[in-house]
Amino acid sequence: MKLGLPTFLRTTTFKLALLYSAMFAAFSAALLIYLYYSTVYYIRNESDRRLDLEFEQLGNAYYTGGMERLSQSVLERMTRTGSTYFYYLEDSSGRKIAGHFQRMPVAPPVVDSKTVYFDFDQPEPDGSMIVRSAAGKFVRLRDNGGALLVAFDTAQQTAIVVRIQRAIFIAAPIGLILSLLGGVLISRGAASRADELARTAEAVMGGELGRRVPVRGSGDEFDRLGQRINAMLDQIEKLVDATRHTGNAIAHDLRSPLSRLRNRLEIALSQPLSQEAASATLNETVEEVDRVLATFNAILRLARLEAGAEGERVRMDVSELAEELAELFDPACEEAELTFKSQIARHLMILGDRDLIGQALSNMLDNAVKYTPAGGAISFTAARGPDGTIDLTVVDSGPGVPPDARKTVVQRFQRLDSARTQPGSGLGLSLVDSVADMHGGELILRDAGGPAGQPGLKAILRLPRA
Amino acid sequence: MRVLVIEDDAEMASFIEKVLVEAGHSVDKAIDGERGLELARSADFDALVVDRMLPAKDGLTLLKEYREAGGKTPALFLSALGDVQNRVQGLKAGADDYLSKPFAPSELAARVEALGRRQVGEPQVTSLKAGDLEMNLLTRKVTRAGKKIDLQPREFRLLEYLMRHAGQVVTRTMLLEKVWDYNFDPQTNVIDVHISRLRAKIDKEFEEPLLHTVRGAGYRLQG
Repeated sequence: MKLGLPTFLRTTTFKLALLYSAMFAAFSAALLIYLYYSTVYYIRNESDRRLDLEFEQLGNAYYTGGMERLSQSVLERMTRTGSTYFYYLEDSSGRKIAGHFQRMPVAPPVVDSKTVYFDFDQPEPDGSMIVRSAAGKFVRLRDNGGALLVAFDTAQQTAIVVRIQRAIFIAAPIGLILSLLGGVLISRGAASRADELARTAEAVMGGELGRRVPVRGSGDEFDRLGQRINAMLDQIEKLVDATRHTGNAIAHDLRSPLSRLRNRLEIALSQPLSQEAASATLNETVEEVDRVLATFNAILRLARLEAGAEGERVRMDVSELAEELAELFDPACEEAELTFKSQIARHLMILGDRDLIGQALSNMLDNAVKYTPAGGAISFTAARGPDGTIDLTVVDSGPGVPPDARKTVVQRFQRLDSARTQPGSGLGLSLVDSVADMHGGELILRDAGGPAGQPGLKAILRLPRA
Repeated sequence: MRVLVIEDDAEMASFIEKVLVEAGHSVDKAIDGERGLELARSADFDALVVDRMLPAKDGLTLLKEYREAGGKTPALFLSALGDVQNRVQGLKAGADDYLSKPFAPSELAARVEALGRRQVGEPQVTSLKAGDLEMNLLTRKVTRAGKKIDLQPREFRLLEYLMRHAGQVVTRTMLLEKVWDYNFDPQTNVIDVHISRLRAKIDKEFEEPLLHTVRGAGYRLQG
């Protein structure tokens, strides 16, 4: 309120509305002025035309039957019902032959023909006289010196013009006021919607992450803006939740190794140790710290990935990478007494980040190696999937993941109870899921169709083909 | 080797110094980018260890300017930001290797060692030799004590890398990066398994083992 003006008066919409009102007023004024003059002109023109017609007809009478016929014709017209004309015919000596008036109401002009305006008194039925205005034409009959006046009452014409003038003088201010009012209303509406946005933003900044911009369902630009902002807030809320969850998970997952570490160091401090025992303890300590750091790095990486801050996608042959990884993991499987089979279709192209896809596939293979008991089998395939996708599939003959747990295992730090004894951070599949997300693909977990109790897991990383 | 460590964090700098001194190198330190660049230009070092975040002049700029002025000393780039983009940026600016904090001392020592070698050893060798193990890089023939050893292509590359760095400790991460060209961690002990397969081929029938596991660090092929 710096200027002491209501908010809406300072809005862009109001300024626009003001501009539009001014333009509207100018346009209306021009239109009304044009309308006024053209109407007046038309009315005048029309009366002149009709007057000329009168004269033409009377002239005909005069030419065919002389003065007698003319006076007859004038009398006829005077008595005709609905006639709006006044007549006056006189002879060359200025004597009245026929007509509405006692005598010529205007001074006879010298010229042959002239347009005349005059006032006259008309007797009313009650005997009083009223003054009326008339306009007409005076013509001198050329060959006998007589004169003919035909006129009409201008009251009607004047009334029309006056009415138009009145309409204009009333309509113009009303129009101006209405357009200003409209401007104010529109801009107040816009200002109030903008205020809603601002209030929501303030509430969100104030920590109310669940607040959303009200959407009226009218589909107007404010609604669309509101929907976008709401979608953005949804995403932000999701990220904040994820961060909060990560924070909790870090606290939870790092606390236990750190406490173990502390205990070990406490014990080492509390008793005299031989050189050998001391270095063994320190070695274990370093390993424990390394694990903590590895988990930390994994969390950071995942966070960066989810924030969209990591990875650069280029067109790459994922078959080559898969071949290499198959070769890399083959001996490890053999070591773990697992049969390893790979079937990689050639030249499958994707738009991807080689390191991230490599890490994701490694995580899938690593899971399979870790959780499949000795004597089991692992297969790794790369093939075209449905709808222009590429499926990178790792199937194992391990314990699998129960259907109701498949959603949770991809969440951070979520591990099946049965897996808690195995080393690992619980971040492996989360990373695969994030990598899939980032590449516009998905991670699909299914039963591998093994026997009950040992159904195996089929993990499919499905990516769009490039 | 004479190593210049450009690092502003005093504790980190003395940790690096300690690690490198223990590995038998002499260490000079600079605490900001300006002084680091000046020192690197003025004296003859065998390797540079450059932190990314530095006062006065950041590591990337420092390296770029050093290389543009014709500086040849190999450099190891250190950064707390361990993601791929940063690594690529560092290598583009003229670093020869990249290490993200936190790192194991053995990793740092191994990488600095490898850097120093790079400068001297590289130009067109056609054969490598470690003890009685010989590798012909042209015919791709490997023999030990005259006896032919058959290797898979990947095993050949693995052994080649180990032989180029014979006598040095080589970490698992270094092998992943240099032999497999992976900048991610496949987690399972895949490297160990490949090493043990290689070991089975080059050491099994011979009395003296050449390929040693260095506990907590990596591997070393005896020179």
